[in-house]
Amino acid sequence: MSKGKNTNLRLNLSDILVTIVIALVFGLVFRLLGPVYDLVKPFGLHLDALLYGIWFIAAPFAALLIRKPGVAFLAETAAALAEMLFAGSGGVINLYYGLLQGAFSEAVFAAWRYKKFSLGIASLSAFAALIASIILDAGYAYLPLLAGWNLILYLVFRVIGSVLFSGLFPYALVKGLEKTGVTQSLRPVTKEDYNVLK
Amino acid sequence: MDTVLTNTNTLFFKINPSLKFILISSLFIVYLFVQNLNTMIWASLFFLILYYFVSGLSGKWSFWFVLITLIVSLFSASAMILFGKGSHIIYHQSLILITQESLARGVLLGLRTFTFSLIGMIFATTTLPVPFFYSLMQQLKVPVRYAYGCLAAFRMIPIMAEEFMHIRQAMRVRGMTRQKGVKAFCERMTRYTITMLAQSIRRAQRTAIAMEAKRFSMTEKRTYFYEIGWSRNDVYFVIILLLTVALGFVFSSYFPLTPYTNVLDQ
Amino acid sequence: MSLNDRESWGVTNLRLAFPKKKSMLFKDLSLDYQKGEKILLLGPSGCGKSTLLQVLSGLVPDSVELPMRADRHAVPDNWGFIFQDPDTQFCMPYVDEEIAFVLENRSISRNRMSQLIHHYLDMVDLKLENSHQLIRTLSGGMKQRLAIASVLALEPDVLFLDEPTALLDPRGTVQLWQTVRRIGNDRTLIIVEHKIDHVLDFIDRVVLFNHKGEIFADGPKVTTLARYREKLDDFGIWHPGVWKGYEEKQLDKSDDTFGELILELNHFEVLHQKRVKLFIEELMIHRGEWIAIIGENGAGKSTMIEGIMGLLHTKGKLSWTFPHPEDHVQFVFQNPEYQFVTDSVEDELAFSLRIKKMNEDEIARRVDQSLERYALKEQRLQHPFQLSIGQKRRLSVASAMINHPDVLILDEPTFGQDARNTFALLDLFQQLRQEGTTIIMVTHEMEIVSRFATRTLTIDQGRLVKDTLNESSKEEKRFGYGFDEHEHVIF
Repeated sequence: MSKGKNTNLRLNLSDILVTIVIALVFGLVFRLLGPVYDLVKPFGLHLDALLYGIWFIAAPFAALLIRKPGVAFLAETAAALAEMLFAGSGGVINLYYGLLQGAFSEAVFAAWRYKKFSLGIASLSAFAALIASIILDAGYAYLPLLAGWNLILYLVFRVIGSVLFSGLFPYALVKGLEKTGVTQSLRPVTKEDYNVLK
Repeated sequence: MDTVLTNTNTLFFKINPSLKFILISSLFIVYLFVQNLNTMIWASLFFLILYYFVSGLSGKWSFWFVLITLIVSLFSASAMILFGKGSHIIYHQSLILITQESLARGVLLGLRTFTFSLIGMIFATTTLPVPFFYSLMQQLKVPVRYAYGCLAAFRMIPIMAEEFMHIRQAMRVRGMTRQKGVKAFCERMTRYTITMLAQSIRRAQRTAIAMEAKRFSMTEKRTYFYEIGWSRNDVYFVIILLLTVALGFVFSSYFPLTPYTNVLDQ
Repeated sequence: MSLNDRESWGVTNLRLAFPKKKSMLFKDLSLDYQKGEKILLLGPSGCGKSTLLQVLSGLVPDSVELPMRADRHAVPDNWGFIFQDPDTQFCMPYVDEEIAFVLENRSISRNRMSQLIHHYLDMVDLKLENSHQLIRTLSGGMKQRLAIASVLALEPDVLFLDEPTALLDPRGTVQLWQTVRRIGNDRTLIIVEHKIDHVLDFIDRVVLFNHKGEIFADGPKVTTLARYREKLDDFGIWHPGVWKGYEEKQLDKSDDTFGELILELNHFEVLHQKRVKLFIEELMIHRGEWIAIIGENGAGKSTMIEGIMGLLHTKGKLSWTFPHPEDHVQFVFQNPEYQFVTDSVEDELAFSLRIKKMNEDEIARRVDQSLERYALKEQRLQHPFQLSIGQKRRLSVASAMINHPDVLILDEPTFGQDARNTFALLDLFQQLRQEGTTIIMVTHEMEIVSRFATRTLTIDQGRLVKDTLNESSKEEKRFGYGFDEHEHVIF
């Protein structure tokens, strides 16, 4: 671990702890939402797919907030681990979904070299997590064996849901949090900040 | 959470948490490739029996948990049952098309989710966070910053739960709950989340600084208050788990309850 | 000179700014201290004392990155830091594990740990039946002493204390300083504190800061404090003579006539998870009373007012004489941030009026009036979370009062507030009461009970054990006694 001037993008303890705690807050929300989510399942019309997007929220949210490499992956993984430890329905499945979704989400931010944190990138990251979940679902839930119209319904709902809940919503949340002033100390310190000392 | 657990002095609490974690999560891979409905039926039955004997939950909780989990698991497969592809029609009305094939697949999916929930529950109710993360550091070499980060975060859960109650009360007092409609509901959810997040973020930052003030990051080589090692219990555990899985496969070939040995056929 | 031989640390020409701020918090600030000194840093809130403490310990910039530079920045080798908030200093769930965490950091071998854990717990006089106890079951005062114990496990030469008693009740405060005094004998102490009653006797040097983050006085305790006595009041410091000084300026409060009955409780029970947490056989409350609810931590004071507000499940008779109590009774939580629901001070004030669909002209008029009365005019457009502690508290009271309720119920409204803010609040409550508002508040501050409350309710183990009208005590007070009596009723 080198201690050069440019290492300020490395995660420090505070970044790690904040990311995990954010994941826990969402994990708690997931746990509270879980029953609601389970309730809309029985109709087979994939109304749950619309809500499914909320499961991807931790990664884009943490990335928008802390803006450092690794936080998106860490957040989604920690959220999944928390869900497993809180004994949410599905148990160990969550862990695998979390790992893959987190990795896909992270990849989007990495592709822009952690320089862009716009609404578009957030939505794209949510969309990437969605792709990850579909890959797993294809194998796990036999997606290709659903009737055509039903499969399309499912996919459309998921896309809408993920962009809405994990693209727009976290973006709005971060904007809201910025107003409270707590986000300031989370972001990397810039050169301009040092210029004030002159 | 700690009031729900009954007795922590049982075999499953004494297993090396890393071993338990790895074996239990690898079961996911095993059952992902099971397409035989009989195997899934027997496996879920045997895991239910295992769950009954080892779960750390007190009786009332575990009964309700199992029932609700079973119902929810079957619900989650409802799309497959009602709208799946297949040729042997059982029931058909407008869009709803239940076929033998889709029914078998749906039941298999439901049971698979049910089994994973049980397995997850076995893990969750017999694993305490502190030994778990200590073991992750010692056996799996998880970096200490992440492990202690998780522990510090876990400590905050009761505080967060209490805070959630207070925020809910405060919003009620302010009249937030008097507004009706979807827009007001969204507004309310956003407020909840922002207030919770703001408090939690600040708390996390302060805790991180306090940990650093106790020279956390400066330590190159650390000692451990708890040393998590291996014992005979770990062998028993591996045997029990292998037996449970094996019994499922054996029973399915000797006592096939249904004709669907591969739900992906046709 | 022998003085120069002693180790000395500190900063010279420190410049520091917060990110995204246009101006510096410190501009060329210098502060030196030597081994064995016991220093108290005093100044108005927001002058940067806490940040300076973090700089002196090296936490800034090592752990907290802030733009800073200094010609000299000497940090002691062995130091410990006690923070303000009892809930955010620990990372482990149990008492023994928390101290062990520090021992692990120091790579102490495992077989010595249990013995050392008990050693450090004894040093802070934390007597637990079993050291493997959940930290969250401890009181705030015990948590702070545990924080000291875990810091002592670092074997520090220098201790930095950042308002360690700000969130403690009076008893916890006294115990904490007794502990610090005992363990601080042979150590260097750098203390930031607003409540200095119990600190004054063991410090020897005082450093005073002004609003701009500059040091304007630095010297021996006695002479410095004597010279700048009136500054203490300006800064809102809780010093020994503060109540007396306030009393001289206090408003006349002759009007003690009470109006009609507004609340009746009969065989009133507050339940939590199906267990009775509080029982009151009978209680009548009248218009214009100022009721103080007192009792130990966890006795059920907050439970009582939350029950009265209908926030918890209750049984028995709870009857307001108002047709719609929610329009007449307002509640202010201990943590004001929980009840903020908008993004600006003015929206916050207008919120409950908008719910009632009042016309905008009237809303604007009332908001302006409140901004004036509660001294929040300049913060009008700020986000409530960005306000100072005192402003947050005033905003929470203002937004409760904007509907002109008949009853105001408050949970420890002066908790964590400095003297200046406390007195401003008390003046305000006094005015409100004279205008006919009934005030019911939970408090630990006996000075408030004896000086302001017209009636005191004592809660002990979930029961109302004492209900005294303070009429007589006021009579007694005029003759110069009755004070102590009140104190030992409680403790």
